[in-house]
Amino acid sequence: MNLIRAEVERLTARRFVQLMVVLLMAAFVVTAATTLAGSHQPTPAELAQAQRAAASDLRSMELEHARCLARDRGERFPGDDHLYLPRDCSELDPALRDRLPVAADYLTGVFTFTRQAEPLLYFLVAYLVLFGFLVGASYIGADLNSGGVVNLLLWRPRRLTVLGTKLGTLLGAVLTVSALASLAYLVTFWVIAQVAGYPGPTNAAFWSGLGAVWGRGLILVLLATATGFAIATMGRHTSAALGAVAAYLVVWELGGRIVLQILDVARPEQLMLGSYIGAWLAGEVSFWDSTACRTVTQGYCDGSYTLTWQPALAVLVLLTAGLSATAFAIFRRRDLI
Amino acid sequence: MTSPVIEIEGLRKTFHSLRRGRRVAVDGFDLLVEAGQVHGFLGPNGSGKTTTLRALLGLVRADSGSMRVLGATTPERLPEVAGRVGAIVESPQFYGNFTGYRTLRLLALAGGVPVTRVDEVLAQVGLADRGDERVKGYSLGMKQRLAVASALLKRPELLILDEPANGLDPAGIREMRDLVRSLAANGVTVLVSSHILAEIQLICDHVTIISRGRRVTAGPVTEVLAGFDDHEHLVRVDDLGRAEELLRAAGITVTGHDDHLVVSGVPDPVAVSRTLGEQGLWVRELTPLRPDLESVFLELTGGSAHPHIPWQVGSAPPDQPTTDQQIDLGMRGVDA
Repeated sequence: MNLIRAEVERLTARRFVQLMVVLLMAAFVVTAATTLAGSHQPTPAELAQAQRAAASDLRSMELEHARCLARDRGERFPGDDHLYLPRDCSELDPALRDRLPVAADYLTGVFTFTRQAEPLLYFLVAYLVLFGFLVGASYIGADLNSGGVVNLLLWRPRRLTVLGTKLGTLLGAVLTVSALASLAYLVTFWVIAQVAGYPGPTNAAFWSGLGAVWGRGLILVLLATATGFAIATMGRHTSAALGAVAAYLVVWELGGRIVLQILDVARPEQLMLGSYIGAWLAGEVSFWDSTACRTVTQGYCDGSYTLTWQPALAVLVLLTAGLSATAFAIFRRRDLI
Repeated sequence: MTSPVIEIEGLRKTFHSLRRGRRVAVDGFDLLVEAGQVHGFLGPNGSGKTTTLRALLGLVRADSGSMRVLGATTPERLPEVAGRVGAIVESPQFYGNFTGYRTLRLLALAGGVPVTRVDEVLAQVGLADRGDERVKGYSLGMKQRLAVASALLKRPELLILDEPANGLDPAGIREMRDLVRSLAANGVTVLVSSHILAEIQLICDHVTIISRGRRVTAGPVTEVLAGFDDHEHLVRVDDLGRAEELLRAAGITVTGHDDHLVVSGVPDPVAVSRTLGEQGLWVRELTPLRPDLESVFLELTGGSAHPHIPWQVGSAPPDQPTTDQQIDLGMRGVDA
């Protein structure tokens, strides 16, 4: 317990951590301030007009679907001759759409919470992922580089306990900061929507969807933190983690992608970590495989495929666990000179 | 009979590097430090001192050999005795942005030591007034004091100090000397590695010298020095030439210099004064020339193959792996 207290104090006292928290708050304030400055509460007239526009849009969609169904039944609708209708009418079914037009879609200059909460949360998660990775890497990297770990091991000569405590403390601290920051962030924008914007129609599905993104975002932050910590432990330096990520992005996500395209490898996105991060965060991500329909000469071919969050989570957890286990194994046997 | 506090037998450590290849840092090294000793650990740069201390403290994995600290086999049982061992290894680094007080407080927290102890050790090393300053503003000597303070936090029974005088000014060195002496007087066993040989000679009662990863001598400082005593004396007389002839005629080994003679192999200087006095030459100065630790150190580490080096039981010359030439330090003089 004392070791945990000491590590928490050491972590919070570090300049780099303090700087990252200040940057987080600065980004928070700037985003909130610009949102507040660029938004106004819609007047009843604006709202009514937007609701009418949304209703009109919805009616058009229903009409189009009805025309399609009528065509299938062999009936005729006036003006059908010049209208394109897909073979499968379910493509036009409003009930099967991801989302239907809502009044918020037609409000200009108005911050609408239900429309913008998710992208705002993605932005925050991206920052927190960077925060976790850098703090995780620098926390152990600076300690290894400065001899802090050696000092600690002279007091507690149990390497795995010391490293495990450091990682546990780090993850706990990053989770606390991330959870508090994201809650404060969402609450702030909710208040902005209430006083200077439009909250939008919220229901259980909206909140559960937002909660899922939030939860998945926090897990991603923890995985990034552990990864930064593990790579810096293996490389004995903060820059090892930064270098490894930069090298991965340039060599594989960029260079490798080009090579895979040249080689016509099927579904190259499946080999990219970025795809799994996206799939985990969004719940699922669809890709188009250009090689899938190459041999199909007749009929319809759907070359799309989807990565869902389950395999994405498995890939990310396995990668992080593998890196962490390797880091602990190396640290256990390493000569600290 | 005193009990061993540190026992190292046959310690061997090899480092492997892609750039520099294989390097044997410690090669069958032995060390014995008994309770209550202030034990000097000497060796040239790169001789294996720090590697030995790191291995002893579980920071470096030994290839072979056995080590015990306060009776506990290390590194396996080191955690059992770590609370009784204070150590600094080489130049310790601290976070520059932390104050001296916070640095020690974090260590005290991690080690389960009452935080009230921090003020005590800061005062003990002379940093009481500077504890609330950031470490990056400390001089090298102050950082060294802080390191010693961190080692003292635990009220150790065994204190291992690697180059504690690094960066200290003469006053700081004297304070460090006094500190070590007072700790020793309070029953703390101290192992101190240093290249400031005069300092070691002043504060240590025992010494072990390492060269190229092997022990070249060990024992009480007085015995180590006695082993190198050639019974030399400086002689000044008015007629150096005649005095040299007379002394040689008396069977005494003499080396002539510009303004004095050096006689050797003369345990009793009366033989010199009597030989010269009987011939009417009056001795103006007759000074014994005693070896100091520096000359012994240089002889042992500068030319390891020197025939005069008295190998102690349990050690062997660096280039000879057998123990055939092991000769007890106390039984052999340098003229053998």
